[in-house]
This record gives sequence, C-alpha cells and structure tokens, in this order.
Amino acid sequence: MKKDFSIVGKEVIRQDGLEKVTGTAMFADDIVLKDILYGVMLRTTVVHAEIKSIDFSEIADNKNLTAIITSEDIPGAKKVGAIKKDQPIFCFDKVRTSGDVLAMLVGNNEKEIKKLLTKIKVEYSELPILSNSSLAMNEDAPVIHEESSNNLICEYPLRKGNVEEGFKNSDYVIERSYSTSYQEHAYIEPEAVIAIPLEGNKGVKIIGSIQNPHTTRSVAASVLGWPLAKVRVEQAELGGSFGGKDDTMNVLAARASIAAVKCNRPVKIRYNREDSILESYKRHPYKMKYKAGFNVDGKIKAMKIDIIADGGAYASMTPFVTWRSVVQATGSYEIENVETNVKGVYTNNPYTGAFRGFGSPQPVFAQESLMDEIAEELKISPFKLREINGYNSGSVTASGQILNSHEVTLKKVLAKASDESGFNDKWEKFSKDRVQKDFIIGSEQREKEFILDKEQFIEPENVWRRGIGLSCSFRGCSLGAEGIDAASVFVSLQNDGSVYLHSGLAENGQGLRTTFSIVVSEVLGIPFEDVFYLGIDTGYVMDSGPTVASRSTIMGGGAVKDATEKIKRNLLDVFIENYNIPQIARVEFTNGMVTYDKYSMSFKDLCKLAYNKGVNISAVGWYAGPNVDWDEEKGQGNAYFTYVYGCQVAEVKVNITTGEVYIENITAVHDPGKVINLLGAKGQVYGGVTQGAGLCLWEELNTIDGKIKHQNFDELLIPTSKDIDNIDVHFVEGEEEYGPWGAKSLGEPTLELTSAAISNAIYNATGVRYRNLPLNLEEIVLNRKLSPASVKRGSA
Amino acid sequence: MLNNFEFIKAKNLEEVLQLLSNSSIKTKIISGGTDVIPGMMQSSSRFSNVKRLIDINAVSELESVKETNNNVLIGSGLTFTDIVGNELLNQEFPLLCKASSKVGSLQIRNRATIGGNIVNNAPCADSLSPLLCYDASLIIQSKHLRKQIMLKDFLQKPYSTLLGDDEIITFIQIPKLRKNYKGDFYKLGRRRGVAISRLSLSVLIYTENNIIKDLRIAGGAIAPVAIRFDEVENFSTSKKINKDLLITLSQKVGKTVLDITGLRWSSDYKLPVVQQSLYQLLRKILYN
Amino acid sequence: MIQISFILNGKKVKLETDENRRLIDILREDFSLTGTKEGCSIGECGACTIIMNKLAVNSCLVLAGQLIDSEILTIEGVSENGKLNVLQENFLKYGAVQCGYCTPGMIMSIYALLLKNNNPADEEIKEAIAGNLCRCTGYKQIIDAARATADTDMITDLSQ
Repeated sequence: MKKDFSIVGKEVIRQDGLEKVTGTAMFADDIVLKDILYGVMLRTTVVHAEIKSIDFSEIADNKNLTAIITSEDIPGAKKVGAIKKDQPIFCFDKVRTSGDVLAMLVGNNEKEIKKLLTKIKVEYSELPILSNSSLAMNEDAPVIHEESSNNLICEYPLRKGNVEEGFKNSDYVIERSYSTSYQEHAYIEPEAVIAIPLEGNKGVKIIGSIQNPHTTRSVAASVLGWPLAKVRVEQAELGGSFGGKDDTMNVLAARASIAAVKCNRPVKIRYNREDSILESYKRHPYKMKYKAGFNVDGKIKAMKIDIIADGGAYASMTPFVTWRSVVQATGSYEIENVETNVKGVYTNNPYTGAFRGFGSPQPVFAQESLMDEIAEELKISPFKLREINGYNSGSVTASGQILNSHEVTLKKVLAKASDESGFNDKWEKFSKDRVQKDFIIGSEQREKEFILDKEQFIEPENVWRRGIGLSCSFRGCSLGAEGIDAASVFVSLQNDGSVYLHSGLAENGQGLRTTFSIVVSEVLGIPFEDVFYLGIDTGYVMDSGPTVASRSTIMGGGAVKDATEKIKRNLLDVFIENYNIPQIARVEFTNGMVTYDKYSMSFKDLCKLAYNKGVNISAVGWYAGPNVDWDEEKGQGNAYFTYVYGCQVAEVKVNITTGEVYIENITAVHDPGKVINLLGAKGQVYGGVTQGAGLCLWEELNTIDGKIKHQNFDELLIPTSKDIDNIDVHFVEGEEEYGPWGAKSLGEPTLELTSAAISNAIYNATGVRYRNLPLNLEEIVLNRKLSPASVKRGSA
Repeated sequence: MLNNFEFIKAKNLEEVLQLLSNSSIKTKIISGGTDVIPGMMQSSSRFSNVKRLIDINAVSELESVKETNNNVLIGSGLTFTDIVGNELLNQEFPLLCKASSKVGSLQIRNRATIGGNIVNNAPCADSLSPLLCYDASLIIQSKHLRKQIMLKDFLQKPYSTLLGDDEIITFIQIPKLRKNYKGDFYKLGRRRGVAISRLSLSVLIYTENNIIKDLRIAGGAIAPVAIRFDEVENFSTSKKINKDLLITLSQKVGKTVLDITGLRWSSDYKLPVVQQSLYQLLRKILYN
Repeated sequence: MIQISFILNGKKVKLETDENRRLIDILREDFSLTGTKEGCSIGECGACTIIMNKLAVNSCLVLAGQLIDSEILTIEGVSENGKLNVLQENFLKYGAVQCGYCTPGMIMSIYALLLKNNNPADEEIKEAIAGNLCRCTGYKQIIDAARATADTDMITDLSQ
C-alpha cells in the first residue's frame, strides 16, 4: 500500500467552490430558457379517497392555460417506484396521502395559472384514514393499495442461534420500546426541474436538482414509454439532497417531460417550501421493541427485536431501508442469539424513503440507548459494556458474517472518543452530581393539579444539569446485498496533460468532484487544478447505480483509480520505449514530472508524445464490489463486503425547568478508511452530526390524520449556527483492501450516532431515560409527546 | 405568491393619514413587511385580500426617539436593530432592548418595526411583554383625531387590536422610571437561533429595604395575548422578599394563566414551565 | 405598475414593474442576478440575503416599491473586477461550502457584519448567520471562515 501521498489526505479546496462563492453556480431554477412554460400542481385536499371526478370546465378556456396534464396524458407507465411500481405520476383512481397530485396546469405565467387551481372541482368519496403504523396489519385496517391484500410492504426476519434459550441462560432480561419520528431532508434548495423537448426524434432532455440522474432517466423513459437512450438527464448544481432528491425528483421530471412533449416546449416545475414539504418523502418513523438478555459479567446473550417502519402511502425505498435495519439492528456487538423482525408497512401518511443514514439512525438510537440501559441495570459504565461486547476482528455479526476482511476498528474509535472527551471521568462525576427525584415537573400527578408544590421549584444552581453520553455503530459500506453494486467513470487525458473526468455518480454537495479529482491527481502526480470534473449527463457516462449509501468514494473513487491507472500504464509504456529503459523500471510520476533514474520528462510532454504516437490516453474505469449474499428466510449472509466504525460522545447541559437541551460538544471519531480530502471529510462530519442532533432534539414534523402540520421553516426547526457549541472531529484510518487506497464511507455514519449519544448524555444529566424522538422541550419536561390536535398554523 | 395590490410610498405622515381616511378598499400599512409579506405568501386571511399597501419607510417622523421630562416617545417605525442600537433606550428601557435583540434573525430585526410588532399582536410577539411592564401607551392618529391608549387595552385578541382602519400608531410613549428599578427579560425558544418564543417574561421590580414597593410582571406566548399580572403584582406590594414569596408569586402567576386560558393542549407543559421560569427570573433579578 | 430607481451593485438602475413583485424576483428575473437564492419565501432561511442600505436583509421580504432610492448589494457585487474578496477566499480555504445553495446569503450576512464590526466575537458571528440556514456544513467551517476574515480590514463597502 502506498504510504506517502502527495495530495491524498490533505486539505484540498473543493473544485466547484469558485462558482459557489461568487453566486454563478447554476442551480436548476437559475436556468432561463426561451418560451418556457411552467407546471403547477393540483393537489388533493383530502388524505384517502376515491376520485369520483375532476371538472376543469371553469378554466378550460383560460388564455393563460397551455395544457392540462393528467394521468390520461401518460403514454407509458402510470405508476412508478424504485422497487414496487405503486406511486402514480398523477393520481387517477385514488388519493392515498396528503401530498398527492391529481393534475398539472401548464402555462407561461406561473402566477396566473396558480390562481386557476382553486377553480377546478374535484369530487372525492372519502375512505377511512390509516395513520397509525401499528394498526396497519390489523384485519380491519383500510387497505391502501387495493392490488395487495394487506398493507405489508416488506418483511425481513433474521435468526441466529436460539433466542429463547439465550434469554433462559441470561441473568437479566429487559424489554424496552423506542420510537423515532419523521425527519424532513430540508435541503435548502427546493425541487426544480426542466424538461426540454429535443428536435426531431431525439427525445427529451431533463435538467434538474436531481440526485440520481440515471434513476430519473429510467423513470421518465418508462412514463413516456420510450427507450432509455431517448431521454437524457443532466444534473444541475444540486442544492442539497441527503437522499431526498430521488423519487420526488423522478416524479417531477416525468411530469415535466410529459408536458414538454405534449406542448413541444420546455416546461419547468419549481417548488416552494410548502410544496416541497408536502410532497417529498421523509425519513421513516420507526417503532422498535427490544428485548435483551445479559449476564452479570456484562455479556449480552440474546436479543429479540421487532421493528415497524412507517412507509407511508408508497413503498419507495422502504424495502432497502428496512433491510439495512435488519442487518445492523443489534449494533456493533457480538451476540450469540438474535431474532429480528423488521416490517415496512403502508399507511396514509407522507411516504418515506431514502435519507442519509438509510434505516440506521433509528435502530442505532434504540440499540445504543438500550446499551446504556443495560449498563445502568448492571451498574457498570457505558464504556465498559461496549468494551465487553463490541466487535473485534473475527467477530461474527447477527447475520453470521465473519468480520475478517478488514481491520475492525470499533475498539479503537471507542477508545479515541473516550480519551478525547474525557468520557469516563466526566460520566462518573455527572452521575454522582445528579440529584435524584427532583425532576418531576409535569409528571403524572400534575395532570389535574397544575400549580407546582413549593418543593418542586428548582433552586437556580440546580437548573442546568450537565451530562455526557456515547454511542457506537458499525455500518455496511455501499449497497450490500440490496442492489447491484458497480460504478464507472471515463477519464480522458488531453495532449497537454490536463484531464477530463466523467462520472456516473453525482455531486450532491458532498464534494465528490473534488475527491475524484484528487484520486486522478495522486495517481498521475499532476496538479489537482489540471483535473476537470464534467457535470453528470446520462448521455456521456454509464449508469453507475445511485449516489447513495456512502458509496461514492469507495465505489466511484475505486473506478477513478482504475481508469487513471489504465492510462498511466499506457503512458509508462511510451516512457519506457522512448528512453529504452527496462520494463520493470520504477518510474515515478510526481510533481508533474515523470522520472526514472537520470531520465526525466514533464508529464505534459509525455502526454503529447503518447498522443503523437497514437497511444490511447483515455480509459473507462470500472469498480465492482466483491460478492455479497443474503438468505431471505433466515436473514443470514455476508450482507456487505466491508464495514466502517464510529463513536460519538455528546456533552450536553439540560435545563430541567424548561426542557431545553444545549449541546456543548460532540466528539466524533470515525474510521472512514483512508481519508482522501481532509477538508471535505471534516465537513461531512460537522454536517452529519448537526443533522443527527436535529433529528434528536428539534426537528419535529407532525402529521395529524395524515396531514402535515409543519410546512415551512417557521415551524420545522432545523439546527442554526447557535445550537451546537462545538464539534470535535477525529479520524482513525483502519486498514482496508477495497476502495482507493482503502478509502471507504463517511457521509452516513456521521448522522446515525448523534441522537443516541445526546439521549444518553441527557440521561447522565437528569436520570431520566427518553425513548421517543424528538426530545423537544415538552418531551424532556413531560417524558411524553405533547402536540396540538389540529394542523392550523400558529396555534399556541 | 402575492396577489395584486396598489403600492403607495408615503412621503410624510400627513399623506399617510390622508390615504387612510379615504380608503374604500382594504388597506394596510407596510414597513418592514416581515409579517405582511409572509402573511400574503401563505394566503393568511388577514392579508390575502389586501388591495392597497401604504409604505411608511420614508416617513421620517415615525423614525425618531423623543425625550420629554417624563416620557420617552419611540417612533413606531423604529426597527428592532434601531432599538438595540439606541443609547437612550438602552439606558432607560433595557428590557425592551434585550427583547428586541431576540426578535427573529438579524435580517428580520433589520426590517421589522416595533409598530408592526404591536399591530400584528402575535401571542408570541417579543416586544410586548417589556412594553407592558413599562406601562407603555400608544399615540394613535387618524386624519381627524389624535388619541392615546394604554397598550394593555389596545391588545384585544390574538392578531387583533383596537386600531381602526383609518388609524396608525405613530409613537409608543413610555414613562421614565423615576426610581432605581431592577429587572430582566427572559425568552424561551425551541432552539437557540431564531426562535419563536415558547414563552417570554418581563419583570421590573423596585424595592426598599428588601420590601417590594412596585413589582411588574408581564408575559408573552402564555395567554392569548401578552398580559400583565396585575393581581399578582398588587398582592406583592409591601411584602418582604424571601424565597417563599417568590414561589408564591410564581404559583399565583401560574394560577392566573390557568384561569385565563383554561386547559389547552400545551397546558401540561406551559403551566409548570411558566412558574419555574418566573421563579428563576425573580431569583436572578433579586439574588444576583 | 410602479416606477422605481435604486443603486444596484454600485450602479444606478431604473425599471417599471408590478407592485407585487419582490426584490428577489427583480434581482433574479430582471437583472439575471441568480446568485440570490429562494429557499422558503417567508424570511426564515436566509438564502436570499442581500445588503440593503448597509444592512443584511431577506430579499424575499422587500417589495418592489420599497426599493426606491435604496442601495442594494448582492453576491455578484462583492467581488471587484472578478477578483474574490478575502471572505470568499476564506470560504474556499476553510471548507465553508458544500452544496453552495446557502453560500451567497451566508457570505452577504457575514459581509454585512464585517462592514459594521471588523473584529466580531464568535458569538456575534453565530448571531449574524443564525438567520441563514445551512443543511450541509453544520456551520463550523463557515464560522471558521468568518473568523479568519475578521480583523483583516479587507472588507470594504461596495454598495455605493
């Protein structure tokens, strides 16, 4: 393995930074085209209903209206979906959730056609609303999709050992229930897409804020009833995604394409924040029951887990999201006997899908809270419990996978996080400082009598309590047995030594352009500035699967390295032939020079020479993950080809009179394998931790009978600059054979750990265990949910 | 999306009053626009049918702070940023300045005016509880009339006040505090940055020899509109300050809130938290 | 329709427009200054922040008629002759940019802060950008960039 790097691992300024700091980067809504039309949505006013009729007669002759697009205009597939084709582009028989769209009005004056929406008369026959995922599998539950006999989207069992025997042989058995709520992606750029009809028989071109252009292409092509190659998708600059600009964007792109083809003019759809929150999918709310058997020595013997994930009205990524949950539900601990059952179900709630973390933040919150609860039962420290049970090299996971292909760094990240934060001493101190029994405001006895007793008033010095908590995780890299796992790039050297780089994976703001360009720069020993990453366009590069699952660096980076090394071999041949030096010569490519012994040539000259000799200096790079396997019946197999490990420690202070939690510090220690861009890697951690903290404390998104209450940033509260005092980042680079120089994954583990670490810190501070996210003011004071019963805005 | 409306940039107060007096169409005054424009964007019933906006940003009369022997007159057009940066106001009415510094974001404070905050009368409006504590009154003008009304009487229901269609608040008049009052403003939000108040409290207190001579308590976001707790204040007069009294006062405020609001969805949280927060604030003011 | 004239990025501009248009619409549609972004339309996200009369303001909350005789500075006006200002340089250097959508508004907020106070404390920096939501960065590197720019005397008022 190469140890001395010229650029890998350094702080590299991102390649697309210049246009972003000057405001010249072109996001989808910044693109202006002549003769453009706008599409606006006729959205349902009910949650679950049969559509009896839609009457457009009052607007049909309106001069501002160019077209009305409904399901009847769709030549191809009327329903789409990543796994199950259950989501209509335009609803035609039923509406199933509050974000559903029945039709789109198209015209050149967006404001004027929006006004027409209220003049369309829709007759519904309302159906009972299923809003509680726990009731979804009941006999009498309304069935959301009539083609199925029940509301089951997917079900994954996992069986290892004998869990009942395990409980019998345990000194202690505890059962706990946890839940998590919706989380909105809250990318600051709302959705926007343009479909442009191309001349003659060339088809349609789509430009938009699209996370996965190849997926968008296949959806649009299926809806148009066209071959894939007749649809070209180009990614505009993407204003944040986090897993969110996938299904929603595919549907919007399909709608725009239908309209563009029908009107033979470009059609733009751009959402405002309310549209975005209403229609886009969210993170799955999970209900999780954990039962754990363990011995006095701290060894966990058995664990039984039942999880229900609320998939909402459409399946979207639910089968993949919940599959990750079943693999990782027992956390980073070796447990002999495991029984896990994960179900994804339909409801009439907003649909749920991919979101950074992808089925891990929920079980990590539950499992890592449970670890602290077990430690509490045993009166040992949370650190020690994890030391006892945590994975080592050679450990066997719940799915029976032996962790022997990579360095298992769990104990390293745990030790590092603990040392850096001073965890053990602080934890001991805060536990001792904790004044028991005075934290009772709003408890049961207060429900009838609201005036506090004298002794319940807290003395000022006791108001703020400090606490520290930790959480650990392991995470499978890339898609695992859930999907086809390969990536491709095209690297093309110019005869002056500059480089074009085309990738099938997409820049979503995470810094992929920079990371990939660093790989090229490192392999060829050329300046980073000479590498030009070209925007992603399905017309130019092969489908590389989606840019998800923290797979870009390991898969795409691997493909870039593969392509660049192919070119380098060709250049090497030219160099060797030119100087007539031995074939086995150790030729160095560094600082823009190619050198062997006394022979030296600039990289530029070598490119020119190769070009003049007619040698190919471009290459397609390919990287496919090693085989993985999964037994659907037993939930056993090598789920992912490698894993990453992380540990976060949260230090908080809690105001026990108001429920306010302030995060003083998060120490985040991650093993992403080899770090490629230190500046970008740190940014991933800061951002992920902050989103994780949001999931834990502030980001309440309620639904009432399937309708969303929090529709804009006045009510949906994502973290601001003032909400987290500090984040301290450390990397432990574990040895890894896959990925470029052993670089693996980072984006998602950063988010999945934070909520459990904070909740455990709150326990350390208060002695109260909170099991239901988000831990907002009311939850902290009352230890239960308290929400208004209506979706009316501004109710106190 | 904003509906169509007529926009008039008024040059002076006289023009504003003239425009208001013969308005046959639904007219609103706009200054910072931080309530009006979101209201229109979200099709709030208060704003969606407004047909004419009168912009008062150029009306310099409304942007002054005047000092008389007994009073300070704050122009209704002062932004919260103006208030935070005004030396006289910081000296005379620190609670108002502290509350103003906690309104929305800096971008909002740079535009939003105190007059707008009062007229909008949101239950959570941050400037109202300090103004109530300072016994603020409002100078209201129409073409034919100039009148003065106490702020506490002006605030009627959430988002509803006594302001007539032909009227504008020109000044907020606050009597200077003759004696050495102590006090503080407390705001609780759901997050630290840019939070709508979950509750806010203002307390002013004047004591002699550890005896309460004058106590003023006001709260925002705990009742339908911002309120003063007169009965609790009266009860406190001439009482000796000790922890038990502060607890009693906090309990009485809780009881008053319960009487006013009855049980609401948020009572389980708000009632205990109002009592605890007031107790903390009183302790902070009196024991530090 | 309403006639307005104001100073935009140092140049006097005039236009006739509908009363119900907002500054952000005018910037993006009439002047093709698309660096100013819209994220919420109600003054909560700060993506549309510009500098109006030397103060950071949400351009989604300013009506066309309110622009009369004002001075507006947008992200397009903060680099002189195509040269990045030191704050922009530091945004790059400290990794303060990810997806880039909040970046122009973020830069304008910090720029306005530094115009007033060229040596702000961290708390003042955090307060100045509390109204600028960023979903990617967790703010840390943005605050680093602002801190590094403080005290450089490199921020000058380009709005006139």
